[in-house]
This record gives sequence, C-alpha cells and structure tokens, in this order.
Amino acid sequence: MNFLTIFARNLKQGPQTEAFPLGPAFTPERLRGRIEFNAATCEGCRICERVCPANAIRFAKTPDGMTFDCWHNTCVFCGNCEFYCPTDAIHQTNDWDLSHVNADKFDMVEHGLIPNQTCVECGATALNTAPMVKNAKPPLSTEEYAEVRARCPKCRAKYLKNRKVPA
Amino acid sequence: MSTHNVPETFSIPVGPLHVALEEPMYFKIDVQGETVSHIDINAGHAHRGIEYLTTKRSMYQNVVLTERICSLCSNSHPQTFAMAAEKIAGIEVPERGIYLRTVADEMKRVTSHLFNVALLVHLVGYETYFMHMMQVREIGQDMLESIFGNRQDIGAMCIGGVRYDLDDKSIAYIKGALDKIETETKDIIKTFKTNGSILRRTKGVGVLTHADAITCGVVGPVARASGVDYDVRREAPYAAYDRLPLVVHSLTDGDVWSRAMVRLEEILTSIDLLRVCLRDLPGGPVNINDRPDIPPGQAVTRSEAPRGEVIYYLRTNDTPQPERVKWRVPTFMNWDSLRFMLQDAKVADIAMIVNSIDPCLSCTER
Repeated sequence: MNFLTIFARNLKQGPQTEAFPLGPAFTPERLRGRIEFNAATCEGCRICERVCPANAIRFAKTPDGMTFDCWHNTCVFCGNCEFYCPTDAIHQTNDWDLSHVNADKFDMVEHGLIPNQTCVECGATALNTAPMVKNAKPPLSTEEYAEVRARCPKCRAKYLKNRKVPA
Repeated sequence: MSTHNVPETFSIPVGPLHVALEEPMYFKIDVQGETVSHIDINAGHAHRGIEYLTTKRSMYQNVVLTERICSLCSNSHPQTFAMAAEKIAGIEVPERGIYLRTVADEMKRVTSHLFNVALLVHLVGYETYFMHMMQVREIGQDMLESIFGNRQDIGAMCIGGVRYDLDDKSIAYIKGALDKIETETKDIIKTFKTNGSILRRTKGVGVLTHADAITCGVVGPVARASGVDYDVRREAPYAAYDRLPLVVHSLTDGDVWSRAMVRLEEILTSIDLLRVCLRDLPGGPVNINDRPDIPPGQAVTRSEAPRGEVIYYLRTNDTPQPERVKWRVPTFMNWDSLRFMLQDAKVADIAMIVNSIDPCLSCTER
C-alpha cells in the first residue's frame, strides 16, 4: 500500500533525473567550482599558495611582475584559497563545467598578472599589489588608497607611518 | 544423486571487487553447501598513504586532506583533526561555530545513514525501493550542495571554527528539506517494519550477540544494534552536543534489521537535533578569523562519525607540518565482528551482512 502511493506520486511527477545536457542542471549559488582570480585586489601575500592542499596555485616572478596560476586539473575545489584570502581576490564561481578535450588540458589554468610599477616616491620597481591597509585607522580614503598603491612597500610603510597626524 | 548429498567444503573468494560489495575487501570463505563455515578477511587494497601525506602538508592543508580520507564521513575527519589542533593550541571555537559544526555533522549523518540503508534494500533485491530511498537521500545531497557547495566534501570545517555561515534564507531552505526527509524516513521505517521481503531477508540474519559485540569492541550503530548503549556524542560531548536533546537508540537483537533500524531512528534524531540547532543558533563570528601557528604538543580527540567512534591522535612540532597523525576509524573495530556475523550465514546473505556494518575501507586503509 505504502509503495502504491509512491508509485502514484512518481507517475504524476515524472522522472526525477535532470534533463542535462538537454536542459539545465541543478546548480546552487554556493557551488564550489571554477576559480576566478582578480589581480587588481590581490595583496600578493601568497597565502592561497600556502594553504592550497593540492599545490594547484603557483606564483612566479617574471620581468613583467608576479604571475598567478591556478591549475584546474590539479585543483580539488576545496575553497581554502578563497577562505583564507584577506581581500577576496580569489573566488570560487559556481561554474562546474570543466570538461575539455585532451588537447586543451594545459589551458585549464586561471591566469593572472600583478604588474610591476615604478614607485612614485623613490622610483624603485615594485609590484602593483593591493596595499594591506585593512587595519588602518581611520580607514583610508579613495585618494589615499591610490597614493599608497602607487608606492613601493618601503614607501608605503613610510606613508602610512606619517599619515597618523591628520586624524 | 547420492554423491551430491555428501557435504563438501569449498573455498570461495568474495571480493575485492565484488558486484554486490561496494568496498575493496577480500574474503576467503569456506562454505559447506550453502553455509559459511570459516571466514578469512584480507584487507589492504585501497592503501593511499594518507597518514604519510599528512606529515608533508601543513596543518591548514591537512584539514582538506583529512576530509578526503572518506567521502561519507567527510565531515567527521576534519572536525576531529581540527579539534585536536585546537586542543593543542588552546583555541576556543566561537559559540556560533560550535553550533554550525553540529549542523554540518548531523546533515552528513542523515545522508550517510540513508545511503547505507538504501544499499541494504538494494542487496535485499528490492530495487524499486532502493531507487526511492536514493531519491530521498538526494534531497539531503541537494541540501549539502546548496549550503556547502559540494555534495560530499562539504568543506565546512577549519581550525578554529567553520568556513560557512547560514542566513535566514538558507535556514528556511534546510528546514523545508528536513521536513521532506522526515516524512519519507518515517515511511521508510514503516516499510522496514512491515514489508515481508525486507523482514524475511534481514531479521535474524548476521546476528552479533551482546557478548560478541563487547569482545570485538564494535562501535557506532553496529554496537547500538547489539545492545551496547554507547554514543560518543553523549559519553564525551563535543561541539554543541552537551546542549542538545540527544536520544541514543539501541536495540538488542544485533541482526541486520536492527542495525538498519538503529540507523533509520538516528536519522530522525539527527533531524530533531538539526531543528534545535537552527532554532538556538547564536549570533557572532563563526570562526576565530585567524590562522595561528599550532605549537608543539600532542592531543587525542574523538567524535561520533556516522559509522561510529573516530579517534584522532595528533603530534605537532616546531614545523608547520604535524609530526604524526594517526586515526582509528570505526570500520577497523567493526570488521572483526564480521567473523561472528558471517559464521553459519548463507552465501546469499554475505554481501548484505558485510554492508550492514557500513564498511568504509578508504578510512580504514587510507
């Protein structure tokens, strides 16, 4: 009797399987899928590289700056990088469709470049990373942030130290 | 004809890759006619060297690595590992984090138990009901995917708390899904108590007596089905279990049916616990929002995985990597009891009895 009710209900509801690939697949908002990297907000702290259990994330110094590579074929989609990233520069999208032909296997990489810049104060070549100013008090204004960003790490520290006065 | 009536002993191999046995376990079974007379258990087909790997990765990488030891207890492993690290470093998990840990733990328990009981129905030969039960489990799997972002490796734990948070929308969604699972589970329990096919195949089969259960030191639902009233959540409360109305179910028959019934009753208890957790969920941070170095030290922690008690031993030194991680998983304690359960069983019941201990060899052989 019990099963007959289920049978009647299932007959009315139709198949439970998803129509994919002919229809859309169930994809929740929070699904942990493909990695997305935003070089503009990266502080270059490289914590993601250290917490990645699969060693899928690599930073490398090049003449143009520092490159970021996340190998999706090595990635285990655990989300440690996103969780420990202080500025949300690395983010997991809910795009799960990573199927590809074998010829593309070396292209399954999320690539980013933190470019070099010339420090506006001392003229040294340094990375144009997002400044680590989360704990700065009072919070930096947009102009101040841009000014800090245009400097090399040494001049950034100097700038923030001298800044205390106007508060 | 008369020569066929003489009982002969044959040795038959079951596993490591057996059509009805989902785990790579090898049994050399001596049978007399249709009856099992002697069992030889041989394991070691799924060794991946994870214990060694943990000493090559930092504490924060290991939370993810331990999660991948086993897909069905994939919350209990990182949780117990994180508890050990927190014990060494003296980290206090925030109140909301404690409750959210319980939420993740119980959600995994619901889907894990449903999976095991569904497989039992499959081995009984009731394929239609197996499909139905897997569809019920799918409500839970969709819930895990929607809340945590993955069906199995939910990635809820971190050292110092949890990685996820719940808002009103997700709490309402979980409550809705739990209502659905609860109704269906109650129906499943009714079916298990009345359906002739299931009762005939599972009642009085693979009995583990109370005395044998004590001898083997079995844990989890296997122990509780044999009358050993033991649950780590009650004996040594962790997370928020000391504040929750936990009911420990135990039966006395110790057969396949009792083990399935204990699991089904536990699903209902888990749903109750989840509802209480979601109702009493305190505010505040979900984790310590820090990545402290774990000082040198050692700790032993334990928790109740869906399959039973899991114990972690962790020793750290001055490096970011642990010096030694060792875990004792429930299946390690439970599989010895198969010698008692399979004794004098029918050949056709072997797969069903093995499934009834809910074996997890990826944990045991890691």
